[in-house]
Amino acid sequence: MIFRAVEDADLIQRAAKGNVEAYNLLVSRWEKRVYNYLLRITGNREDALDLAQDVFLKAYQNLRKLAEPGRFAPWLYRIAHNEAYSMFRKRRPETDVDDMEPRSTEGGITVGGSSVFPIELSLSVASALGRLSDEQREAVVLKIYQGFKFEEMAEILECPVSTVKSRLYTALDLLKEELAPLEARGV
Amino acid sequence: MNCSPFDLKDFLLQELTDPQRRQVETHVQACPSCQVELDRLRLTQTALSSLPDEEIPQRIGFVSDRIFEPSPWRRWWTTFWGSAARLGFASAAMLSVALVVFSMNRPASALRPVQAAKTVSDAEIGQRIETAVQRAVAAIEVRYAQRTEQLVKDIERRDQAERVNIQKAADLDIDYLRHSLQAAERKSYVAAYREGDAK
Repeated sequence: MIFRAVEDADLIQRAAKGNVEAYNLLVSRWEKRVYNYLLRITGNREDALDLAQDVFLKAYQNLRKLAEPGRFAPWLYRIAHNEAYSMFRKRRPETDVDDMEPRSTEGGITVGGSSVFPIELSLSVASALGRLSDEQREAVVLKIYQGFKFEEMAEILECPVSTVKSRLYTALDLLKEELAPLEARGV
Repeated sequence: MNCSPFDLKDFLLQELTDPQRRQVETHVQACPSCQVELDRLRLTQTALSSLPDEEIPQRIGFVSDRIFEPSPWRRWWTTFWGSAARLGFASAAMLSVALVVFSMNRPASALRPVQAAKTVSDAEIGQRIETAVQRAVAAIEVRYAQRTEQLVKDIERRDQAERVNIQKAADLDIDYLRHSLQAAERKSYVAAYREGDAK
C-alpha cells in the first residue's frame, strides 16, 4: 500500500505538470472505486458513470491546486461528493439536500426498476441501505466500502468528525435492526 | 446500550488504539450483553460486505490532448490539418487564388483574340497544331542531341582520367621495382665485399 501510495504521488506530480499519460494511469487505478462510491450513493449506473467522468475531468483541471499529493484520495472523493450533490440539487431544487428525510425506497438501489444486486442477501442489504438518509448512506459507503478514516471522511464531507461518527453510528444501528432477520436465519 | 469502556463500533471499525482495543477485548470476554452486541455488529458488517463492487460498465474516457486543448478553433485546426481533407482544401485555395490573380491582371484586350479565333478555319487550326507539334518535336530532338553530346564528352573525360590514373600506378610500380633492384644490388655488393675481407 505504501509503495502504491508513493507511485500515485509520483503520477499526480507528473500529471500536474501536464503529463496526460500519467493521469490516464491514475484514472485507471481509481475509476472503479470512484464509480462504485457514486453508484452506492446515487443508486443508478448511468448517473454514476456520468458523474465519474465529470469527477476525473474536474480533478484533472484542478490537479495543480492539490497541495499534498498524499491527500489525493480524500480530495478526489470530495470532488465526487460535490458532483453527486450538485446533481441531487438540480433534480430536487425545491428540497434542501441537507434536510432531506431518509428515503424509503423499498427496492433499494435500483436501475430502471430492476435491482443492481440481484442476489437475496445483496438485495436485502441494498434495500436496507436504501432506507438510510443520503448522509447516513454516504457515511457507510465511505467507511465500510471505501475504508476511509474519520478524519478523511470529515474532509470529504466538509463536516466535523463528530458529525461523521454520529451519521455512521446511527446508520449502523438502523442497519443492524434492518438486517436482524437475515442474521437470525444465520446468513 | 452497552457497558463497554469504549464504543463497540469504534472497536469494530478499528478506530481504537491498541491499549483501548485490549481493554474492550477483556471486557467483552466477561460481559455477555456486550458480546452479543459485538456479534450483531460483526454480522451487520459482514452482511454489508456481501455487496460486491461492480465492474465499471465502460472505462472512463481517458483524458486526451484533444479535449484539453485551449480553444475549439485550435482543436479544429489540428484535426483538420491532420486529415486528408487538407490537401483538397489547399488545392482548392491555391486554384481560387490563381483564378482571382489571373482575372485581376489580365488585360482587357486579351479577350479580343479569343473572339477573333472563332473565325479561324479548321484547316488553319490543323496547320497551326501541326506546326506546334513539329516545333515541339524539333525542340525535343535538339534537347536529346545536346544531352547525348554531353554524355559522350563525360565518358571521354572519365576515360582520359582513368588512363592517367593507370599511367600513374604503372610509374609507381616501376619506381618500386627500381628501388628494390638497387637495394638487392647493394646487398650483394656488401656481401661480396665482406667475403673478400674474410679471405
